[in-house]
Amino acid sequence: MLEKKWIQQIQAGDQASFRQFYDAYAGAAIRTASAITRNREMAKDAVQETFIRVFRQIGSYNPELPFDPWFYRILTNECLRLMKKEVAKLELADIEDNPSLSEESFDQLSDLYDVIQSLDDIHRIPLILKYVKGFSEKEIAEILGLNQNTVKSRLFKGRKKLHEQLQPNEEEGEFQ
Amino acid sequence: MSKFDERIKNDLAKRTDKDVSDLKDEIWNGINQELFERRRSKMKRKKRLAPAIMIAAAAIVLAFTFQTDSGLALIKNIKDMFAPEKEIIQSIEGQDEPTDVHLNEGKDSEYIIYIDESRYKMVKGSESDIITTIEPLPEKYPEVSMEIKQYPEVKPEELVKQIEAELKKDFPELRPVESVTEPVEGFWLHGLTESKWDGKVIDVNVISNGKEGSFVITKKYFLEAAEGHGARFWHMLESFEIVE
Repeated sequence: MLEKKWIQQIQAGDQASFRQFYDAYAGAAIRTASAITRNREMAKDAVQETFIRVFRQIGSYNPELPFDPWFYRILTNECLRLMKKEVAKLELADIEDNPSLSEESFDQLSDLYDVIQSLDDIHRIPLILKYVKGFSEKEIAEILGLNQNTVKSRLFKGRKKLHEQLQPNEEEGEFQ
Repeated sequence: MSKFDERIKNDLAKRTDKDVSDLKDEIWNGINQELFERRRSKMKRKKRLAPAIMIAAAAIVLAFTFQTDSGLALIKNIKDMFAPEKEIIQSIEGQDEPTDVHLNEGKDSEYIIYIDESRYKMVKGSESDIITTIEPLPEKYPEVSMEIKQYPEVKPEELVKQIEAELKKDFPELRPVESVTEPVEGFWLHGLTESKWDGKVIDVNVISNGKEGSFVITKKYFLEAAEGHGARFWHMLESFEIVE
């Protein structure tokens, strides 16, 4: 399997293999980080730091477990760390006249992406992991360190909110 | 996948397309610079935390340490050069974890290292020092330790070959020797017996002692503990300083 081969070559410090691995993984990693952080610079820093950590800490990856959840756990944690740092900065700056998207009324939003971004993080981040990378509930639970039923419930509620906002007349059977 | 699922998926992809095309090369350049370009540049001498003049003074003090009572008192000067404790931010699986670490002197005060004393202790021996868990682990777990040993008359280039040959007996999949700058500057060896939760991991740094010899730092743990003990040993070793 190609992934296993990459891991072995990364462990051996092979630059060319690491570049191939980067090319294969960067797209989805950038999409995920960009959607989670809602900020291009933060996404850039999170993805860069994640690949550096993966290269340096590949020895701590257990090859018996799937690789993608391990990779995305590092990426998600890095995104959350940078977002937390940014919130602290904003609090210090005391910006009052710059409401965030999440403070906007649902009624003002018609674009699906904007509605996703208006959700709170506990519903937004599982949705991003599900729809950008196609992770299962079990994998999302592993990435976010949550119980699988919690993820299931958050995905359901998240989709329900999206649906209510965008297609209020459609039947709820759509979610099952 | 329902139409609604498709719509969410496509919208997320569409709205992040531009970031992928704009950032992909830029991010790679940053990674390449950090991981590969620096390695190629000439290995820099690790900067000392304490001023050289104080280190030299400490060396004179040490010459008398084991001969006089006043020497025992003067050895405290080394502790004066470094903070007795500090807080470090350890990165464990991408999560930053603030940890209090304490200054420890190695055998004959040849080096210092900061230890997370909430989890580990240093056991000083006649040949080497061993940092290990405060409480012994149950028998089913392989050894977890970090040994620091000085070889005053063998240079790292020579010693690393001997260690590599020795380790290959137990770790046939041992990685080729690498030159690294982190957590300490020198040669690095890494091996794993098998990909099971209790597969034994060996991680060895061979570094110059600043003279004609070497320090060998041998970390032992097991696969499941790599993200815990392995990462914590790595961070402790970052604080290693030779006292000349």
